[in-house]
Formats: sequence, structure tokens, C-alpha cells
Amino acid sequence: MKRISALMVISFAVVAPRASAEDRLNVVTTIETLADLSRRVGGDKVTVQSLSHGYQDPHYVEAKPSLAVALNRADVLVRVGLDLEIGWLPILVTECRNGRVQPGQIGDIDTSTFIEVLDIPTTQVTRAMGDIHPRGNPHFWIPPVNAVRIAKGIMERFQQLRPADKEYFQAQFDKFLADLKSRAPQWDAEAKPLAGLKVVTYHKSWTYVSKWLKLQEVGYVEIKPGIPSSPDHLLRLISLMKAEKVSALLMEDYYNRSIAEEVASRTGAKLVPMPSDVGARTEIKTYFDLVDAALRNLSGVIH
Amino acid sequence: MRLLMTTAALATFASWTVPALAQQTSASGAKSQGAEPSLSEQLDAAAGKAVPSSGAPPAAAPEGASRGFFQSLNPDISVIVTGAAGYSQRAPLLPSGDDPDLKGSLTERSAGITLQELELGFQSIVDPYFRADVFLTIPNLSALEIEEAFLTTTSLPAIQIKAGIFRSAFGRQNGMHLHVQDFVQRPLINAAYLGFDGLRPPGVQVSWLLPLPFFVQLIGEAFSVSPPETSTAPGTFQPLPSFGGGSRTDLTYTGALKFFVPPSESISILGGLNFATGLSPGLTSGDTISHRGARTLLYGADFYFKYKPPNQAVTYFSLAWTTEYFLRTIGSTATENGLTDGGLYTQLVMQFARRWFLGLRQDLLGIPSSDVQPRISRTTLDLTFYPSEFSKLRASAGYEVPDSQAARIKELSLPHVNSFMAYLQFEVAIGAHGAHKF
Repeated sequence: MKRISALMVISFAVVAPRASAEDRLNVVTTIETLADLSRRVGGDKVTVQSLSHGYQDPHYVEAKPSLAVALNRADVLVRVGLDLEIGWLPILVTECRNGRVQPGQIGDIDTSTFIEVLDIPTTQVTRAMGDIHPRGNPHFWIPPVNAVRIAKGIMERFQQLRPADKEYFQAQFDKFLADLKSRAPQWDAEAKPLAGLKVVTYHKSWTYVSKWLKLQEVGYVEIKPGIPSSPDHLLRLISLMKAEKVSALLMEDYYNRSIAEEVASRTGAKLVPMPSDVGARTEIKTYFDLVDAALRNLSGVIH
Repeated sequence: MRLLMTTAALATFASWTVPALAQQTSASGAKSQGAEPSLSEQLDAAAGKAVPSSGAPPAAAPEGASRGFFQSLNPDISVIVTGAAGYSQRAPLLPSGDDPDLKGSLTERSAGITLQELELGFQSIVDPYFRADVFLTIPNLSALEIEEAFLTTTSLPAIQIKAGIFRSAFGRQNGMHLHVQDFVQRPLINAAYLGFDGLRPPGVQVSWLLPLPFFVQLIGEAFSVSPPETSTAPGTFQPLPSFGGGSRTDLTYTGALKFFVPPSESISILGGLNFATGLSPGLTSGDTISHRGARTLLYGADFYFKYKPPNQAVTYFSLAWTTEYFLRTIGSTATENGLTDGGLYTQLVMQFARRWFLGLRQDLLGIPSSDVQPRISRTTLDLTFYPSEFSKLRASAGYEVPDSQAARIKELSLPHVNSFMAYLQFEVAIGAHGAHKF
């Protein structure tokens, strides 16, 4: 009897936590914003982990074997798509030996399929254009309209994977939408005075935000996507910025600040460090924090 | 017509690099009949809910169908061209197949230009169960060879099977193609113990990712190694081949354990313990072949330490230290005693600016030394500049010092026992080439 109860304890200890862990969808995302959106939609039916941190350049994440271990256990991979992660994700997906998240499987969520893609090249793409994304600009997750579309896409896939929790995921999504709508009037108010603001950005990664806030992008610090600037290009950019009276230079935290500071100081434009992902700074913990911070930093230019 | 097309292309490109003004005006123009919907209404529309306000019906989220990519089921194709120019006081004693070959001999100086390697890559997912990778190579303007051609399973739980011609998982440098190496030349242990082209014969690999919270992988491989061509030109230094002897039923087996530990976000440690066994085809010298059919046991340990802060805004600085050691025992045969030899390389590569890397490597063969493998030391300093991710320029200077008292070195009667060598390497990659392992 003693033996049986000991056995039962052991089997319970081994099986029980496992069972509850298996109830939850194990979600792995490539960036932290997608992790936050997945958490909002998945609630307590999911566990979520992001492969990269918000303060990293998502183009250049090291394909560490530890990330393959995380992917090995995933039920779902939520990724940006449009080749943003091409330098590191495909090798991890191959190495992880997990059939559930292979490209095209139900556990592979390419969020770029949910949104309206901008900057799709209309001419033949060559590498002379720099490290260009041939299928369109992948920096799309900040505008709230896109966040809703991404969250909806994630919700629908969660519902397919866990039909029993269909209502739960829908309720979670509705709650997220309501939260966004409660913030929308304030965001509208902050966005309104920004319309028409002339900006230069470091990398061509603010197209979607510019469209949302009606910013006018006049130029870019990089000569071409991924190609560092030359003195020649910077001189042209500086004279362009003076002529156009550009008031702000937008830059992600993970780029070289010294060049941007130099350009800003020579043109009178204000250097605006812009968080581009949840986790870009310690105080940006959620998608809402991210939008708040982006709007606050931009509003600082006109006040 | 052509001019027209170029102008149109230029105009489109200009409108893409300079502001997306045209797009914006047309976008806002579409909604000009009514007041622009508030963000809250736009959010409802994006969520697919009914919008209470008047005005034009909002566009539903496109579901990808409208985008019309050019669909091609061709594999990703890439070409990597590595050119090199160099000078050496004498040819290196133990060149690898994809080292730059200046066509010199051990007795004369050589200088020249070569196409160090042309690599063609074809990579694709086969179906939901397999992927396939084919890499063809032309090293040093010689014949077209299959560097690798293998399939990999993607959906087996925990286990992965690789089959075809592929680079063995034995050690660290053997698995790397030329263009991912940090130096112009491969480490000396490659040619000394794994062979001229490294260990990449036809075979099967089974690897198992252990169900642990950190990365531990167990790998087992079986290969059919062909004996190396025995056209040993007189006046060259030939290593004793480790594998490829015996009959066609004598396979070469390898086993490896690899582990990865990230003590912090900035620090990565990757290590491996390796073992391989097979029969040696023997060393041909003149009319005699020694150690033919002897059992080879090859042990290896490799260690890779990398410091790289994930946040580039803090610094681009990174430091990577790699060390790999091989120890080999050759069993005795009816006529000869067994022997034991080994060798290592240790290298430090420092990224000191966004696009600049400085590397220092020390090769040391003959630890311990044997009758067939004398002590050879080589020190190499490489400076690499990457104009972009798709091109690279590398300068290299090396100094090779063999043990001048060793019998196998004496018999070569080298005019320059110690040799200086310098190379300039240029490499470009075109097409879609898959990402590389850590």
C-alpha cells in the first residue's frame, strides 16, 4: 500500500503539472510586441515567450541554439514576416525539429498576412538598393489599426488550435479592442497636431507610423536600407533638411546615436529617440506603453 | 523604349526613397467626401465590426490575396564568389581544398591570383516533412564538386535525420563553408586529421535534442569515406589519412555531443566533444604504404566563447574565442607499431566597429608529435571589412614554422623552412542564401 501511494505521488507529480502545462498553448514570438498581443488574446490559456528583446535590432538577432530549444516546445510561432527575421529565424525553425511551427503549418503565424503592406517595390529589386525587403516594409506593428488586425489574426488561429476555447479567445480580443477604443480619443488628440510634421528617419522603418499620423518623411539617414551613411550623403541630407525645414529626426534606440546627433545639431531638427518595440526601454512593458511613448516623444517636438 | 523604362524605373525609385507623399494624398483624398473616421471607428473596422458613423465604407483588412506575389517554386539559388590574390615564400605544408592555391611548390616562391572558390547553393523546403540543401563548389578553378547535398527531416519529434553528402558534425570548423570562416585559410588540423576537403563523405546522421531546459544535442553519423587519391606528387608533404581505408564495408563512425550555455545575454558558450573511428588507408611514400588498414580513433574537443551585447546602441564590439583540439591514435598493424598525435588551433576574433573584424589565430600541430606528424606552428593575422552583408574584403598575413629537425621535414629539403604568406581575399554573395548556424 505504501508502495502504491508512493507510486501515485510520483506519477501525480510527473503527470499533473504536465497536463496543466499542456492545456496552455505554448506560444513563441519573434518580437516582444507580438508577445504582448498574443498574451492579450490568449489570456491564461497561453504561455508566451519572445525570441528577441525590444532593444535589439530585429534584423540582427543571433541564432543562438537556446532559441531553438524554445522553439522546439512551441505550439505556435508568431512572427512578423516579410523577411524581417530572414537572417536568423529560418535556421532556428529547421534546427528546432518541431513540425508544428514549420512554414505553412497551422502553428506558424505570419502576421504580415493580416495587414495592408506598404512600400512594396514596384520595380525590379536589386541589392544595389541596399538590404531592401522585396515583399514590402515589415515595420508595421505600431499603428493601432494594425495591432487590431494582428490580434484578430492571432485570435482566429488560437481558435482553430483550441476550438474548445473559442469563446474565451473572442472575449479576450473584445476586451483588447475595448481597451484600445478607450484610449483612442486621447491618441487622436495627440495625433492631430502632428499631421504634416516634416521628419527624417534613420532607417525606413516608420512608414506605417507616418501614414497613421500623417507625418511627411523627407529623407533617411541611411543611404539605403541597411547601408550606413557616407559623408557625401549626410551633406546632401543636411541641406535637404534645412531647405525643407525638417523639425524632427526619428531614430530607433538601437542605431548609432552620434551620427544622428551630428545631423540634428547641424540642421536644428530635434533628435527623437523612438521606441520601436515593447521592451525597447524598461518602462515600455505593453503595447499601450509603446504607443503612448511614441506619441509622447513626437509631441515633444511641437511643444 | 529602353530609355523610357529606365526613366520610369528611376522615377518610381525616387518616389520610393524620397517621401511617400503621393500615396498619402491619394489615401486621404479617398475619404475626402466625409469627415475622416476617428481612430476608434477605424479600430472597429479593422476588427470587422459594424461602423456606426456615415461616410465611405472602410476597407476591410486585405487578406494577402490582393498582393499577388510573383510565385516561384524554384529553390533559393545563391552564388558565392571568393577571389584571392597572394604571395608565399613556399607553398603551405598542409593546404585544405578550399584554401587559396597559388600553384606554387614547396621549393619556390609563388605569387598569383586565384578564384579561391565558387559556390552554388540550392536550398528549399521539399514538403511538410523534409528540406533539401545542395551546395556545389569549384575550389581553385578545379573541377565542379558536390560540397554538400542532403535532405533534413523537419517534423520528427526531438530527432532529426540528415542523409546525403554533408559536412560531418565532428568539431566546429569542419561544418563550416569557406565563406563563414573568419580567416582566409582553414585551420591546419582540418587537412592533417580530417582530410584535404574535410570530412564530408556520403552518409547518414541522426541527431537528438535532449529534452532539457538548455541545448544539449547528441549526434551519431555513419559515412562511406572514399580513400584519398594517392597520386602523391614527390616533394609534397602528405598527412597520414585518418579514414577511408579497408574494404567498402568498413564505414567511418562519428559521435558528437554539443551543448550551449548562455550565462548572460551578452555571453554565449558553445562546446562539443567529438569522437570518430575508421580505418586508415595508410601513408604512401615511394613504393611503400605504411599504417594501411590501421584502426584510427580520433577524439576532439571544441569550445566557442562569444561576447556580444545584444543592444547595438551600446556598442558594436564583440569578441569570439574558438579553440579546437584533436587527438588521434593509429592502431598497430602486423608490421608497424601504433602511434599517437594531435593538434589544435585557437583563435580570437574581435569586432571593433560595425563592419570591421580583426582576427588572430595560432595553429599548432604535433601535440603530441609522431613520426608522421611533426610539429608545425602557424600564426595568422586577418583583418576583415564587410561593405555590406553580401560582400567582404579580407587581408591576411601568416607565418608557418615547422620543426626543422623532424625527419619528415628534413626529407623535403625546404629552401625556406619557415614561410611567410600573405593574401587578399574578396568575396561576394548573390541570390538568396540561407541563414547560418550560430
